[in-house]
Amino acid sequence: MTQKPSHRVDPHLVIEKYDPEAELMLMHFGPQHPSTHGVFRMDLFLDGEIIVKAVPHCGYLHRAVEKLCEKLAYVQITPIVDKNDYVAPMTNEQSLVMIFEAMLKLEVPRRARWIRTIFAELQRIASHLLWLGTFSLDLGGALGGGTTVFMYCFRERELILDLFEEVTGARFHYNTHTIGGNRHDLPKGWSQKVLAAMDTIAQRIPEYEAMTTQNRIFQQRTRGVGVLDGELALELGITGPILRASGIDHDLRRDAPFHAYDEVKVNVKTAEGGDCLARAEVRVEEMKESVRLVREMVGAVPEGPINSGKPVKLPVQTKIPVGQTYVGIETPRGELGGWLVADGTQFPYRLKIRPPSLHAVSALPYLLPGQTVSDAIAILGSLDPIMGEVDR
Amino acid sequence: MGHFIDAFKAFASVAKSFLRPPTTVQFPDVIRPRAERYRASFALLHEENGDEACIGCLQCERICPSKVISIKGPAKRDSPITGKKRSYADDFTLDLTACIFCELCVQVCPTDAIVMTREQETPSYSREELVLTMTKLYANEKNKTRAWGDGTKLMEMQAIPKPPVPLSPTGERAGGEGKAAVPAPAPGPAAPAPAAAAAAPEAKADSPLTPTLSPAGEREKLP
Ligand code: SF4
Ligand code: SF4
Repeated sequence: MTQKPSHRVDPHLVIEKYDPEAELMLMHFGPQHPSTHGVFRMDLFLDGEIIVKAVPHCGYLHRAVEKLCEKLAYVQITPIVDKNDYVAPMTNEQSLVMIFEAMLKLEVPRRARWIRTIFAELQRIASHLLWLGTFSLDLGGALGGGTTVFMYCFRERELILDLFEEVTGARFHYNTHTIGGNRHDLPKGWSQKVLAAMDTIAQRIPEYEAMTTQNRIFQQRTRGVGVLDGELALELGITGPILRASGIDHDLRRDAPFHAYDEVKVNVKTAEGGDCLARAEVRVEEMKESVRLVREMVGAVPEGPINSGKPVKLPVQTKIPVGQTYVGIETPRGELGGWLVADGTQFPYRLKIRPPSLHAVSALPYLLPGQTVSDAIAILGSLDPIMGEVDR
Repeated sequence: MGHFIDAFKAFASVAKSFLRPPTTVQFPDVIRPRAERYRASFALLHEENGDEACIGCLQCERICPSKVISIKGPAKRDSPITGKKRSYADDFTLDLTACIFCELCVQVCPTDAIVMTREQETPSYSREELVLTMTKLYANEKNKTRAWGDGTKLMEMQAIPKPPVPLSPTGERAGGEGKAAVPAPAPGPAAPAPAAAAAAPEAKADSPLTPTLSPAGEREKLP
C-alpha cells in the first residue's frame, strides 16, 4: 500500500503520453458551474469529448477556519466548525468536541452519548438524502427532468431538520454539543416525532430507489462510470461510502466505536464495482440502516445527565494541558478527524482538520481521464464532496 | 421493454407523491409555527419591577465567537426604580449581520437579561436595521415572541440533576419549583408537573435496547 503499483500511470503524466498531434482543448469546469456542489474548479484537457487530463483546483471557499480556531477559545470553536461541512454540521461538532474531551480525559455521560449517536444517524439520513437529490439533479434524473427526485429528497430532509429544530433551536448550525456533553436535552414527546418521521422516510426510500438505483435508465447512466478500485482508494486515504462502494469493508462506527456505537450493532453496507452506481447503492442502503438504528435507539435513551460538568461561563475557564492527539469519527462522508496540538492555554496551538471530502476530490485526476465531460459531472456528484469542508 | 417497466415504476412513485397533500406553505400568508427553542433574534429583558435586567457584566461580549456584541460599561448608578446602587450597561449593541446564532451569549448571562426570540422574519433593506441597538433590543422584549431558553434554563438543563424530590401525598412535587423568578413568564413549555412525575418510574427501565417505545427517551424540559 505504501508503494505505488507500477501499472498505474500518474495521471499528471498522461498528457505527455497522449497523442501529441491531438489538439487539446482546455475547459474550465467551475467554479460557477451549477453541478460542482459549491465552488470547485477543474481544468479539463479535452480531446474532443474525452477528458485527457483533469487538474482540480481547491481553495475557492477557503475561510481560514483552522487559523481562526487558533484565535478562539475552545468553547467558542464548536459553533465555528459547524460551517465546515454545511451538509452535516452535527458530525463536525461531534468530532471537534471529541478531540477536546480526549485531551481533557472527560467522560461523556451515557445519555449524552446516546443522543449524539441518534443525532449522527439522523444527520446521515439528511446528508444522504441531500446527496441523492443533487446527484439525480446532476444526472438529469431518470424521469423527465432532474428536479423531481431533488424536491422529494428535500421534502424528507425537512422532516429531520424539523426534529433538530425541536431539540436545538436551529435547523442547521446547531451548536448543541459542548465539551463534556450536550447542551440541549431531548424535549418531551420528541421520540414519537422521530418515529413518525422515520416511518415516513422508510416508506419513501423504496420510491426513490424505483426512481434511481433500481431504474434501468439510471443504472445505464452510472454503471461502469468512474470506477475506483479499492487499492487506489486506500492509497488516497478515501473513507466512507466511497471506500465501501469499492468493496473495502471499513466503517469506524463498527471498527473503532465512538459515542454509543459499541452498544448497538451496526451493519456495514458494502458494494463491489466502485462505480457511480455502487456508490449510490451504498448510500441508499446506509440510509435504511440509519433508519433502523434510529428506530432502535430513540425509545431506549438512558436517563441521566447530559453533561459531565457545569458549563463554563468564561472562555478562559477551559484550558487544555500541553499535548497532542488525533480523533477521527465516521461522518456521512467518511472519516472526519482532527489533530490538536495544545499548549496549555485556552487557545489551541494548532488544530488540523482532516476532511473526508478533500481525499474524495483527490481521486478525480485518476477517475476522469478517459471519460466524457458529461460523465465528469456524474463522477464528481457521486464523490459527494462538500467544498466548505475541502477548503475550510 | 424493461425500460418501460422501470419508467412506469418511477412514474408510480411520482403519482403517489402527486396524491399526497402539499408540504409547501405559501409563506407570507401562512407562517410555519416555529419550535419553542427556535433562535432567530435577540431581546433584552426587564426585571419584574421594571428595572433593566442587564448588569453590564460583559460575559456575553467575552464569549461571543463572532465578537458582535459591544457593551459600554458597566457603570454604577442608582436604580430609578428601587433607588439602590447597582451596575448597568451604558450601551449595548448586537450586530446581527455577523451573529451565528450560537446561543452562547444567552447561556452565560448571569441575570437572564439577554434571550433569543423566535420570530423568523429578520431580513431588512439595510445593514443599519440589522444592528440591534439597546433601544431595539428592549423593544423586542414586547414586540417579539420569546424563545424558550435563557441563561438559567440552559444551565440547569446541562447541570447534573439532583436526586428526585419525594412526592407529596397529593402527587405534586414537593417544593423545588426551579427558579420561578424568571422575569417574563416562560412561554408554553412548562408541562404539568404531575405528568412528569407519573412518567418517572417507567424511566428507570435501564435495559439498553428495549424494542418497545417507552417514555424513557425524554425528560421533562424543566420543572
Ligand atoms: S448568538 Fe450571536 S451574539 Fe450571541 S454569542 Fe453567538 S454569535 Fe455572539
Ligand atoms: S446581557 Fe447578561 S451577560 Fe451580557 S452584559 Fe448584560 S448581564 Fe452580562
